[in-house]
Amino acid sequence: MSAATLTPYPVCPVGELPLGKRKIVTLKGRSIGVFNIGGRYFALQNRCPHRGAPVCEGRLGGFFTASEPYAPALEREGEILRCPWHGWEFDVTTGRSVCQPEKVRVKSYPAGVEPPPETARVEKYDVTESEGQVVVWIVTENVEKLKS
Amino acid sequence: MVDTDVHHQVRDKSELYPYLSRHDRQRLEEFGLPRNGNLYQSSGGFKGARADCFGAGEDVDPRTRIDLFKEKLLDGCGIDCAILQGEYTPGVVALMDVDYSAALCRAYNDWTLEHWIGRDPRFRLALTLPLQNPELAVKEIHRLGDHPAVVAAYAVCGSPRLYGQRCYDPIYAACVEHGLALALHFSNEGNGVNPPPTAAGHPSYYAETYLVRPQFYQAHLSSFIFEGTFEKFPTLKVAFLESGFGWVPSFRWRADASWKALRAQTPWVKRLPSEYIAEHIRFSTQPFEDPEPPEAMLHLLEGMNADKTLMFASDFPHWDFDPPDAISRKLPAAMRQRVLSDNAFDTYPKLK
Ligand code: FES
Repeated sequence: MSAATLTPYPVCPVGELPLGKRKIVTLKGRSIGVFNIGGRYFALQNRCPHRGAPVCEGRLGGFFTASEPYAPALEREGEILRCPWHGWEFDVTTGRSVCQPEKVRVKSYPAGVEPPPETARVEKYDVTESEGQVVVWIVTENVEKLKS
Repeated sequence: MVDTDVHHQVRDKSELYPYLSRHDRQRLEEFGLPRNGNLYQSSGGFKGARADCFGAGEDVDPRTRIDLFKEKLLDGCGIDCAILQGEYTPGVVALMDVDYSAALCRAYNDWTLEHWIGRDPRFRLALTLPLQNPELAVKEIHRLGDHPAVVAAYAVCGSPRLYGQRCYDPIYAACVEHGLALALHFSNEGNGVNPPPTAAGHPSYYAETYLVRPQFYQAHLSSFIFEGTFEKFPTLKVAFLESGFGWVPSFRWRADASWKALRAQTPWVKRLPSEYIAEHIRFSTQPFEDPEPPEAMLHLLEGMNADKTLMFASDFPHWDFDPPDAISRKLPAAMRQRVLSDNAFDTYPKLK
């Protein structure tokens, strides 16, 4: 028997992922894009549900909308990811497709910051470590835990 | 695996200078290449290409990077044979000045043979031709048609006349003589000597142009059938590239109905149009259709005899690129080998 647990996988020190930027990393064998949007972190699988493009390499932009024909307006600047191939747009904060949110989505993972270990916080000279790590939580099957 | 539709381009016009006469070279130096005249400058992706093919902050057009073709397409996707359909055509093959047009086509073909074909044995070439002047186009086919890497004559959908009309017959005769397929690909609609990019006029947005492109292929296809092109050239094969294929089954039914009702007006059309289509026309997979419900794909494939008529194309490095693995998964297993490889070999005699 096994049970699923969420395991944090480190991405980088907080300082290496500034506002509006992204990092594409391989965690547990999968390519994952981690985004810093307004100080919150979001992680998406780097694979488009359409034809499998590396979607996290797409351009980040806003959501263009229009209250009436010919009057385009921009909302949510920096929160919409456009697939580099056929241009499907995804909401980075949910992974959902802009056109078909109920039906189409990029797989998303919880992401955030883990506090630095006690020692690093005391030893102030190591700025990087004292900032904490951006992490992505991925489900893992934990056999050992159940046994014990 | 054969990729029937990829697009390369010169990075700078000066690359063509060595292949031009002094007279044409001076004109190119001073005025540059003809551009799209229809002002549909927006397309998809980034500058019309896959956005992930531009390095960070870098602006080099992926169409000009043979290293990228090798990395992402030939090696990356396992393509054994990729047919280059030049990206050079906007404007060039729709010029009224047909001699200048022919000179630019010659230069582009020669440059491609030296700098692309000569640098990787997996590339093949569809000749860029001044089709608006069939006489000059024929000359170019005779000049290069026997080169082992030249497998097709490239015809753009934008044209002053429908391609079945008899003024083009010498081109088809030359194709047959040299064992070339005719490769029809959209481009140049609304440009220069050509009618607008939809039959009803100029649309406002690129999405419309993109959506209604099949009408060009349908018009040329009707023309091939009812002019009797395939009675005159019984071995000619025509590749319809980037035409989409969802429309093919219904077109076949309508074409057969037209023929049955109006046959007597064109009695040289001896067979059901759907039979000519099955024998002579090959459709590229890209842009692959995403029918709803997805099971409809099977009917579609059946309705066009896809096991014989569908050929893989990626359209690399364009933004609407289709990768072979994703397309292959959408096909019935028994059809994969035919679509990814065999049908192209049956279409382009010189690929063998
Ligand atoms: S692969 Fe992402 S939009 Fe098609």
